[in-house]
Amino acid sequence: MLSHSNEQEDIRHEMNFKTIVFVCINIIAFSVLILRLLQLQYFDFENNLKKAEENRIRKVNVKASRGYILDRNGIVLVRNRPSYQISLLYNGLKTKENRDSVFNRLLRITDAKGKRLLDSAALHFSFERGRWQKFRYQRLMEDAAPEVVALFEERAEELPGIEILVESRRDYPFGSQGAHIFGYTGEISEKELELPENAHYVMGDRIGKKGLEFSYEKEFRGKNGSRHVEVNAMGREMGPVAGMPFEKPVSGNALVTTIDWRIQQVAEAAIPENLKGAVVALNPQNGEIYAMVSRPPLDPNIFSLEKRELHKAWASVALDTAKPLTNRAISGVYPPASVFKVITAAAGLEDNVFTEHTRYKSCLGGFRFGSRYAKCWRAAGHGVLNVVGALRESCDVFFYQAGLDVGSRRISDMGKRFGLGSALGVDIPGERSGLLIDSATYEKWFERRGWKWSAGEILNIAIGQGALLVTPLQQTAMVGALAWGNGVYKPHFLKEITSPDGEVLIKFKREKVAEGQVLEHTRKIVLKGLDEVVNSPYGTGRRAIVPGIRVGGKTGSAENPHGEKTHAWFAAVAPLDNPEIAVGVVLENAGGGGAMAAPIAQKILKAYFYPDTLQVETK
Amino acid sequence: MKKLDWLFMGSLFALISIGIMLVYSATSNTDLPWYKTEWFKQIIHFAVGSIIAAGVVFMPAKFWKNVAWIAYAVALASLLLVVNSGHVSKGAGRWLDIAGFRFQPSEFAKVAYLLASSLWLSKHRVSIMEPKTLLVPGLLFIVPFLLVLKQPNLSTALVFTAVTLVHFYWAGFRLVDLFLFVSPAASVIFSAISALYWNLLIIGVFFISIKFKFPLWLIVLTMLLNISAGYVSQMAWNSMEDHQRSRILTFLDPMRDPKGEGYQVIQSQVAIGSGGLFGKGFGEGSQTNLAFLPEEHTDFIFSVLGEQFGFAGSFLVLVLFFLLFWRGIMICRLHPDNFVNLVVVGACTILFFHTLVNVAMTIGFMPVTGLPLPFLSYGGSFVITCMILIGLLLNMRLKGKDII
Repeated sequence: MLSHSNEQEDIRHEMNFKTIVFVCINIIAFSVLILRLLQLQYFDFENNLKKAEENRIRKVNVKASRGYILDRNGIVLVRNRPSYQISLLYNGLKTKENRDSVFNRLLRITDAKGKRLLDSAALHFSFERGRWQKFRYQRLMEDAAPEVVALFEERAEELPGIEILVESRRDYPFGSQGAHIFGYTGEISEKELELPENAHYVMGDRIGKKGLEFSYEKEFRGKNGSRHVEVNAMGREMGPVAGMPFEKPVSGNALVTTIDWRIQQVAEAAIPENLKGAVVALNPQNGEIYAMVSRPPLDPNIFSLEKRELHKAWASVALDTAKPLTNRAISGVYPPASVFKVITAAAGLEDNVFTEHTRYKSCLGGFRFGSRYAKCWRAAGHGVLNVVGALRESCDVFFYQAGLDVGSRRISDMGKRFGLGSALGVDIPGERSGLLIDSATYEKWFERRGWKWSAGEILNIAIGQGALLVTPLQQTAMVGALAWGNGVYKPHFLKEITSPDGEVLIKFKREKVAEGQVLEHTRKIVLKGLDEVVNSPYGTGRRAIVPGIRVGGKTGSAENPHGEKTHAWFAAVAPLDNPEIAVGVVLENAGGGGAMAAPIAQKILKAYFYPDTLQVETK
Repeated sequence: MKKLDWLFMGSLFALISIGIMLVYSATSNTDLPWYKTEWFKQIIHFAVGSIIAAGVVFMPAKFWKNVAWIAYAVALASLLLVVNSGHVSKGAGRWLDIAGFRFQPSEFAKVAYLLASSLWLSKHRVSIMEPKTLLVPGLLFIVPFLLVLKQPNLSTALVFTAVTLVHFYWAGFRLVDLFLFVSPAASVIFSAISALYWNLLIIGVFFISIKFKFPLWLIVLTMLLNISAGYVSQMAWNSMEDHQRSRILTFLDPMRDPKGEGYQVIQSQVAIGSGGLFGKGFGEGSQTNLAFLPEEHTDFIFSVLGEQFGFAGSFLVLVLFFLLFWRGIMICRLHPDNFVNLVVVGACTILFFHTLVNVAMTIGFMPVTGLPLPFLSYGGSFVITCMILIGLLLNMRLKGKDII
């Protein structure tokens, strides 16, 4: 009995000690927990509260509406349209069962023709990415068509987590018309995001990539607004937060262009299909561009397409050997051909190398220079001509001899005076400078290749071939400036920038970019030549005649290494005594300038001078 | 002595009331009719749990000795069943359907193991000097441990481990024995973290075993176990793929992946921290109401408490838990009987371990393991397990004397 109670005493002592150990461990553990709570709830309280508020309140960007592009008379050329994005909010799926059933239902959605709307691999990728970004919208289908949106809306009940977001996209109501001028917008790239001037953009924003969309991005984009909403963990908006400011978005400014849409449409229609080339119409007195067309055409709406479609469309235009993406009016460089003879003529007349009355050796269809026999375009020959006649009939033999007298230096100086050889600074990207050099520069440039300026080279230059390249824009501005006689003005599309309220913010002031002047008597003689090209019965450009208007012009047929047929050139300016419009046309491998290009210039001039006879399409 | 411990009972009812209130607050924003809501179901759980606990209390204390082996056998059988054909909930097969009721066998296995281990150890003392004394209790532990681990349910398996260690302590181990006993496991972890810590650990083990005059064979065995455990662990660590390693590191430190694993922990800390000293008020937390806290009514109920009632509320709840465990463990002092002692300390250990791991998890001190918080977290099986443990504690307090 005694030993039994002793044993009990021992156990009691041992247990007493061990219970104290247990309680001590409890006290230590709870003290640690309480200290941590104190840290979180007292010392880090402000910080944690801020984080909770940030969680709760989300600043939602309200995107500003992009500014429109208008023609000079107020016709809307580029506007916006709603675009529907079918998106997945992974957290909205809630359960794994939902995840699988939604995935399978999405796969089963087909269009009217029974074609699957969503690609299984792409969908799988979106779901996988959603798993890591549960609270972010994953775009399943970009820019869905209204009937597709309806398909998804009907099934909204069975598709938890699938939401339709509305964005604004660019709309080009006239399709490919003017596409090369307007350019296009696209999702901002990572490289663009890094640029300091793009600090206001976020991933997924759209930005002007080319053309006017690029040049006037700053004006178009406006200012995004913001509002504060309370959101739950799924990112779903629960409602506005009282007392938080709503910052209204400010719409972008509109660009009123110098484009005259009637002329643009006539120009678009005038170019025969399947021909490549460009047309430019501008006002030589101030550089306002009335119309600019490049062919083959480009449909700018493809750049608003859903990504997969865009890639396909992009590949097809980018790999097209006809290069529809290139704006040939500013980025295409061609030999100026016989149009350049006006420069050779002006250079000679200006320094009295020859006069109006100078007659060179008779043209018998060709010209022997050393061992070389240079042909005239007219095998029958032109006989003896003065400079006006040589311009009128575009006699090569006259200009071979004139070129030899004038020399490359004078010719290139005269070209520079009218803006050739350097970019004119038009307000859309991609303009090229062409090529205009004298013999000394030629030798310096091509020294490494071992090329020497041969005396015969001047024969080519004098008639606009050889080491000589111009853009259609330069060609047009050059002829216009020669007629105007008062300088080359920067060609531009910007007429006005107007605020959303209609207030004019910026007005373009004309800007001289090249001297563009010759002596009055030089100008008179050259203009007489231009006049006779169109209005004389012997002129090469008679197809550009506009009744009642004194049109001047110059044809050209550029030989080129790529095709059998020549590039057809025509540059016109009218009325000659007070030029209001200059038109340049180039058609690649189309044949002779007088036959192919002059009629197009005529249509444009008629549209300009007789607008009442036109039916204008507006949208 | 037969009187009820009012401090114990008061703490218990306070915790249960607070728990129901928090579940209500965490789940009230639904469109369900009141009788389908989770807070109402939780009341039902506690009602059922109380009835079961009352039944437990009114059994004679000897009854638990008699049913210990049967309960253990049934628990093992049901664990085997669930491992082979369990419901899959959140990727882990833990549930079993019996007669229309879903329950988690691992919950009841906790109680069954507690009883079986208590019964064996009440008659057989363990000593680290005599390894054969560890054979039976070791087997009793390892079988349910492995079955639960296979579910996989690491956290519940760790509950078994905690009970075993405390039971060994009560049944003959000294603290230094325990230290030596767990040192190989510590080696596994330390050697993976840093070679320096591991070396320090081995040196510590060596000197302590010399200081306490352990027999040579035990010292050699312990050292061998430690060193080989460390090397095996290092080898396993090095042979792992990067993503496996990354998973383990993320498990240990969720902040490595703030958008994935760490999301819950970060949101939980923000919820608790933003409660401040006195909280945002009942039903007011934006973190809770706007569903930033996942699992808020089960594993992360403590965050709801912290957000809505602040430091004051969290402190009060921790004090209540402490009072409960303190008054619970003190039952040992009433009856100097081994079985009573082991049941009481085991029950207290289960509840304490759950509380500690759960709260530590919500404040970012421990990995997210999925152990619920006793009396506060929503969940049928778990509420009933807790109530059975409470019933056992009361039973031992009131009737423990009869057992002798």
